[in-house]
Amino acid sequence: MSLRRHPVAGALALVVVGFLWIPILAVAVNSINQSSLMVSWGGATVHWYSLALHDPNVRTGLTTTIEIALGSTLVSLVIAVSGALWWRRAPARARAVYDAMVYARIILPEVVFATALFFLFLKARFPLGILAIIVGHSVWNSAYAAVIIQARLVGLDPAIEEAAADLGATPWRAFRRVTFAALLPAIIAGGLLTFTFSFDDVVTSYFLGGNSATPLPLVLFGMIRFRITPEINAIGVMVMLFTVTLMGVAVAASTLVGSVGRGRRDALAELYGQ
Amino acid sequence: MLAPTAPSGLRADSGHAAGLRHLLVVPTAVWTLAFFVLPLGLVTVFSFGTENLITFNVSFGWTASNYAAFGSALYLSTLLRSVALSLGTTAACAFLGFPLAFFISSQRPRVQRLLLAGVIVPFWTSFLVRTYSWVNLLQIDGPADRVAHGLTGHHLQILYSPRSIAVGMVYSYLPLMVLPIYVALERISPDLYAAAADLGARPWRQFRRVVFPLARPGLIAGVIIVGVPAMGEYVIPEILGGGKTLMVGNIIVGQYLDVGDYPFGSALAVSLMVILMIMLFALRRVQPAVEAS
Repeated sequence: MSLRRHPVAGALALVVVGFLWIPILAVAVNSINQSSLMVSWGGATVHWYSLALHDPNVRTGLTTTIEIALGSTLVSLVIAVSGALWWRRAPARARAVYDAMVYARIILPEVVFATALFFLFLKARFPLGILAIIVGHSVWNSAYAAVIIQARLVGLDPAIEEAAADLGATPWRAFRRVTFAALLPAIIAGGLLTFTFSFDDVVTSYFLGGNSATPLPLVLFGMIRFRITPEINAIGVMVMLFTVTLMGVAVAASTLVGSVGRGRRDALAELYGQ
Repeated sequence: MLAPTAPSGLRADSGHAAGLRHLLVVPTAVWTLAFFVLPLGLVTVFSFGTENLITFNVSFGWTASNYAAFGSALYLSTLLRSVALSLGTTAACAFLGFPLAFFISSQRPRVQRLLLAGVIVPFWTSFLVRTYSWVNLLQIDGPADRVAHGLTGHHLQILYSPRSIAVGMVYSYLPLMVLPIYVALERISPDLYAAAADLGARPWRQFRRVVFPLARPGLIAGVIIVGVPAMGEYVIPEILGGGKTLMVGNIIVGQYLDVGDYPFGSALAVSLMVILMIMLFALRRVQPAVEAS
């Protein structure tokens, strides 16, 4: 019997996928469950949705979250793209240091990093708030973006850029039409990933927000810790729909742009023609 | 392990263009030094300082007294609980994640994409809401308890204990284990399985001699990316531990934000980093040893 068709692996796999989806189903069901204790089914209602949509804390939290996520995504992409372009031609030893720093930013427990940055900002009298959170998020987010962008850069054959130069493209034009075009899907994918990570973050925001910035996850965290709140299920469903739509667009966009980019890479004749 | 290696065919730069190109490192270097290396260094230095709890002034005497507090049973047991939960979570994720990754990698491309979405999409839902959902699922008279009560006649009393924290942690970290293993398995040519089967290897032997050795780099990447952050978990014990069962992350946050004892909080953070470095070092030692055997 082939291992690849082994029924035990299949059964176990389906159970594990089920395990991943059960809490999400529970969230969806409880978001329309009239019973506020969420132990049993009490009939359908949209009450929790209306409560969530009219909650001023949720509204300002959402605005704050989007501002932070956009800011940290932008900063992260600038850091990751410039870093990856440098990394590509850097000496081996410098590259090893860069890789170690990317790696450390990803795996260091967030609690350790967030307390350290909080402490620095306190000592440096840097005000806590939205700006501080953006700085904090971009430290780890830029590392995630770097990994995605570097993976794409490795797959880019340098001969294509050299061909562009040989065919008379200025360095800027060669960069724009070849390197950047090839990186675009990774930049989009990296940008969306960092956006959602920032959108969902609790620990860094908790430390660096001070009294002035309370993004949505901290509003939810406060609700969860102090009372039973079916309202958060409704918020969870809405956030999920938002993220899934965003990701769907991202996947579609990166596939689309990816095919265009590949077309460019293959079609040297196109470069020649221009 | 996460970062890919650079292609070797690139020409080394020279002259003016090289000078400009070196400027590209500035954003990442400044950001990493100022907001990552510097704060971690600062915390390490302050962990040896002392603080006047009335004036909040920290002074340096190079004292190790902040570390002496580990002698107290409360902190030591919390630290041990964190290590145990992290190791247990990693092991459970590996045992659940490996078969799943293997199953996904052996499907047709279209089914593979569907199953991968099944693993990743839950990850896009608010982490807090998913974790909170386990409170509902595990509570007395909740769905899991009813199933357990129906099957065994006993109530499932695991909410607000280390066991419910473990459930929440395995749940949250599982996709991070599945993905790197899947990436490693996906690169294995199907011909290898066919060859092994043709040569008479039974499934278990195929797994041991073909699949596992080739998937090991992915497994080790998964172990690191799950085990290390899990040690410092804060949110899951806060929600599923009911404020009673704590991990070292909760104590660090408490020392910083509630008590305001920065040197002691720093000593805890530094200890956590040291433990993690030892674990990473041990993993590095394991890898070549396994390869040699």
